[in-house]
Amino acid sequence: MMIPACPLADLPRGEAFRLEIDPPVTVFHTEDGELFAIDDTCTHQDASLADGWVEDCWVECPLHASKFNLKTGEVDAPPAKLPVRTHEVVVQDGMVYVRLSTTAPNLPHCVARKLAGTLT
Amino acid sequence: MHNAVRSRSSRRVNDPSTTFPEECTVTSTSLPDSLIATLPGSSYTDPGIFEQEQERIFESMWFCVARASDLAKPGAFRTVDVGRESILVTRARDHSIRAYFNVCRHRGARICTEESGEVKRAFQCPYHAWTYDLNGKLVAAPNLTKMPDVGRTEYGLVSVATREWLGYVWVCLAENPPSFEEDVIGEVVGRLGDVESIEHYDIDSLSVGKRIVYDVKANWKLIIENFMECYHCATIHPELTEVLPEFADGYAAQYYVGHGAEFGEEVRGFTVDGSEGLDRIPGVAEDQDRRYYAITVRPQVFINLVPDHVIFHRMYPVAADRTIVECDWLYLPHVVESGKDVSRSVELFHRVNQQDFDACERTQPGMSSRMYAKGGVLVPSEHHIGAFHDWVHERLGTHQQ
Repeated sequence: MMIPACPLADLPRGEAFRLEIDPPVTVFHTEDGELFAIDDTCTHQDASLADGWVEDCWVECPLHASKFNLKTGEVDAPPAKLPVRTHEVVVQDGMVYVRLSTTAPNLPHCVARKLAGTLT
Repeated sequence: MHNAVRSRSSRRVNDPSTTFPEECTVTSTSLPDSLIATLPGSSYTDPGIFEQEQERIFESMWFCVARASDLAKPGAFRTVDVGRESILVTRARDHSIRAYFNVCRHRGARICTEESGEVKRAFQCPYHAWTYDLNGKLVAAPNLTKMPDVGRTEYGLVSVATREWLGYVWVCLAENPPSFEEDVIGEVVGRLGDVESIEHYDIDSLSVGKRIVYDVKANWKLIIENFMECYHCATIHPELTEVLPEFADGYAAQYYVGHGAEFGEEVRGFTVDGSEGLDRIPGVAEDQDRRYYAITVRPQVFINLVPDHVIFHRMYPVAADRTIVECDWLYLPHVVESGKDVSRSVELFHRVNQQDFDACERTQPGMSSRMYAKGGVLVPSEHHIGAFHDWVHERLGTHQQ
């Protein structure tokens, strides 16, 4: 599924755009000019990676400093243990779109339960 | 020069003409004309009075917290107790100095527990990980995106007013800070006569050649009062009195406006043995050369100016009977960078500090003696300390008569 995110002009280098879908996805525009989309939620605790810090091809979670690779989703070190999903980014006519991954997300415990309907 | 001295020699103690008729009816607490009363002993020991001072003096006035060069890079921080509050002082990305209450907006935990350090990008509360950027904005917290109604600025760190002057960071916790120009710069002008006199020393561009921190078991007012008078100099400061012979007369440099105590004839520099000092600060005027100036900036700063360096004391009152004093010796940057030996220069005032603080610590226990309940007395060369006491009363709203 292709979801429109934002006009490319509204996403300067060094910025991130958070798509308010469930679970949320964030598009990162790196200082090098590359675009990546990953699940926005850290796999350790409910924190928004859009609020994190991007260096090279990694985003550091703002809460506990686990870093996620923007290309592969892999995590560098605990406390997060599972990778985030990555999504394909497509730019068409100046618009940024995200093609969502069809694999299951690795959400932190309480968010996953909420999605499963066991936590209100 | 002596016109600033009130009643220094105009009356003799035993001169019967100085006895005013009404004194005959006054109780035995009336004092001879030469003496005026100090504050009562409880003023130096009572935790309740200390708390009043914290609130009405340290939390209300401009308070010097750090050398700006100690916060050289964005993210460098220092935590300082100002009155009853812990204050977090840092430098933001735009290199401006920022100061915040060191209290998390969430559940009130202390955010930084270290006295100093450096964060890369943000301050994080160690309790629930509420995370604030260097401008104090709340940038992240667990579940924060599920609470879009939580304003990130509104729930950011609460800032306090800051100023940089003389290369030092001053903060003011008051909601409406008093004029820095009047309260801080005005104190220097009141002592030296004008602001240019201190600007000649270019203090903000000097480098810290030495810092010594003293943990003094005495009330902060004893330390201020000690700095204000020189009646004790000939007794406890043999080295200082050698360098500044006029100090043996007991009249402090702070007694007169614009007066600097002159170095002794044989003295080559402001050093422990009167030997040559370091390179003279270029801006120092001819009439400031070979002289020592001292300034008290109420409530907690004490500055000494000599031609080749500046000694800058900050007092951090901790309790009614304990004060931390941080003292910097500042020299021209090339003096510090080249590793020149400043030890004889530092040793002079370090010794003076030790001698002074020993005296203050010796005085502190007497403050709770029943014999001192009503306080002691000030001799004429200390009478200007009475104005300091009046000021304390005024701040606390305890002025008598």
